[in-house]
Amino acid sequence: MPALSSTMTEGKIVEWLKKPGDAVERGESVLVVESDKADMDVESFQDGFLASIVMPAGSSAPVGETIGLIVETVDEIAAAQANAPSPSPQSARQEKESSSPQVQEKQASVDSPKAKVITKASPTPLVSDSSVNQAQFLNDGRIVASPRAKKLASQMGVDLATVRGSGPHGRIQAEDVQSAKGQPISVPWIAESNAPAKIVSDMPRIKEKSVDSGKPPASGKSFGSRGETIAFNTLQQAVNRNMEESLNTPCFRVGYSILTDELDDFYKQVKPNGVTMTALLAKAVGLTLARHPQVNAAFSSEGIAYPSQINVAVAVAMEDGGLITPVLQNADKTSLSDLSLQWADLVKRARNKQLEPQEYSSGTFTLSNLGMFGVDRFDAILPPGTGAILAVGASLPKVIASKDGSISIKKQLQVNLTADHRVIYGADGALFLKDLAYLIENNPYSLSS
Amino acid sequence: MNKKLHSVSPESGPNSNLDLTPQLAQSSSAFLFEPKNIVPFENALVWQKNFQKSLIEEPFSPQAVWLLEHFPCFTIGRGSDKKNLLFEEKKSPLPVFSIERGGEVTHHMPGQIVGYLVLNLSLHKKDLSWYLRELEQVLIDVLDLLGIEGERVVGLTGVWCEDKKVGSIGIGCKRWVTQHGFSLNVDCDLIGFEKIIPCGLDQVKLGKLSDWIPGIKVCDVKPLLRESVKRRFKLNWENI
Repeated sequence: MPALSSTMTEGKIVEWLKKPGDAVERGESVLVVESDKADMDVESFQDGFLASIVMPAGSSAPVGETIGLIVETVDEIAAAQANAPSPSPQSARQEKESSSPQVQEKQASVDSPKAKVITKASPTPLVSDSSVNQAQFLNDGRIVASPRAKKLASQMGVDLATVRGSGPHGRIQAEDVQSAKGQPISVPWIAESNAPAKIVSDMPRIKEKSVDSGKPPASGKSFGSRGETIAFNTLQQAVNRNMEESLNTPCFRVGYSILTDELDDFYKQVKPNGVTMTALLAKAVGLTLARHPQVNAAFSSEGIAYPSQINVAVAVAMEDGGLITPVLQNADKTSLSDLSLQWADLVKRARNKQLEPQEYSSGTFTLSNLGMFGVDRFDAILPPGTGAILAVGASLPKVIASKDGSISIKKQLQVNLTADHRVIYGADGALFLKDLAYLIENNPYSLSS
Repeated sequence: MNKKLHSVSPESGPNSNLDLTPQLAQSSSAFLFEPKNIVPFENALVWQKNFQKSLIEEPFSPQAVWLLEHFPCFTIGRGSDKKNLLFEEKKSPLPVFSIERGGEVTHHMPGQIVGYLVLNLSLHKKDLSWYLRELEQVLIDVLDLLGIEGERVVGLTGVWCEDKKVGSIGIGCKRWVTQHGFSLNVDCDLIGFEKIIPCGLDQVKLGKLSDWIPGIKVCDVKPLLRESVKRRFKLNWENI
């Protein structure tokens, strides 16, 4: 039973819109819950089948109680039904309680090993961003498709093997599935550029791409055809407004080159724990901002506004245009693994347009990373309401002359800070970057503290 | 280096608690529709559905508010008890609509302002009881401006004056996008309520604003409601 309000203790099931055995799609309404004078359509989190109804229509159940079971495959229905009458924690794996108005998914913990295998083998509907990237580079005759494309293909009965991918490196996009079926509709998803920052050594193929000019680059993206004028979508309009507003901000830029060999070593150590480069960068920036509150501050009509938190927003491009900036809250105080988990969750939900406003609008400092494209440096436009944004390029091998005159090859990353000069002065920006560089070059291990 | 530049700690800042969350969380925009003519119920149903659908698919698309009057009809929610219809459904004196909202049977007619709000609660607060209480407050604020004291009754949803219910509320919600809303009796004929047990409440007495302010018309109340809704939900009206 989902919580429809903070004070709700129980809800009444008005109606089941699905019968046991019915297929349910992700986002499809499964039942109606009433609390007070409000009706809420409760939706399924994932594609599957309604295996059984534990609480019938007309009954009331406390918030968090199992009210029905959804399984992923037809084969699991019988097993789940067998378990259904006793929805105790032992028989049904209770997932983390959520206040979102969606059905609490209960995967029956089935005893038969066969069913277990099926559960594990069934495709996860949403793949984490990095794994998508890896999949696409490992594409050797395998079908590589966006999660959205996979879903559409199964909905529309399109065989992905017959679809030609127009995405990066032949990845099949939702549009490809639709045009294969003769339905040219644009479907939102997040472009590759939101991939966590990759340091070159970890993505050797990307390095080849960015350095080896002999290979033809992937073709650029366009929202329309030649001769057309395509209206801005809502998100693009929102970005346009913000970008135009930034013209009223007196900005300056200051750059820094940071050696990343130490950070790369550290990343290799923590990567098996699921730590992503985005989390590392956000944490490094968060910790440095904690020591440079001025760079976390913003202009307001009353004066310099110092936020109570350090919230690092990370720009993410949307495939159908526009961009969004999911926010890692309290980046200075949150552990690397929590940041990594939060980021995966934010990206997943951004892709489904399920982010809440505070999850993309509460940033106090923004990171924009184009390093994965091999860009060595760029400058970013300051998002209104914040004081600074950091543009991060690729970490590339450079010949470095050290103070003692010796020459070595080290990997170097260029960052470029854009800041509002009314709040942050050149020296503030420079000291912030110097400190950030020191942390990354000499003390990356402190990120895990 | 100049240490002074960094001497201001976050705690000592004059606006350290200043909420930097931009526009969206604070105000959002909505279309306001105030049809001049009386609206058949099924039309308003379609209008709301369209806006709700597009808001579910595209959370940034516009929200919408309607302030209108309906031809006489009864509506029942999905969980409504048909026993509260004091007639056989097939022999109903008026059209009966089964709709996707909470609550029991109610009655609409000219002289009653119906307010429909298709709002994305993700932009406001994802809390249905909060939303119901806010809708009540919209009505209470309007009554206050008219010099009438509106009250809640603990455990029930709606707005009462003295012991008469003047405002009713019922909403439906899908992925935190609302539909339906409230009705406020202004100078309507209440006789139709005798054919039903309104809101499933035995003994409930219905009232209308003209009981307290003789001669008050829908057109006097609409502007107040418009402002009250706008203020309560921090809406900017989109240009139409």
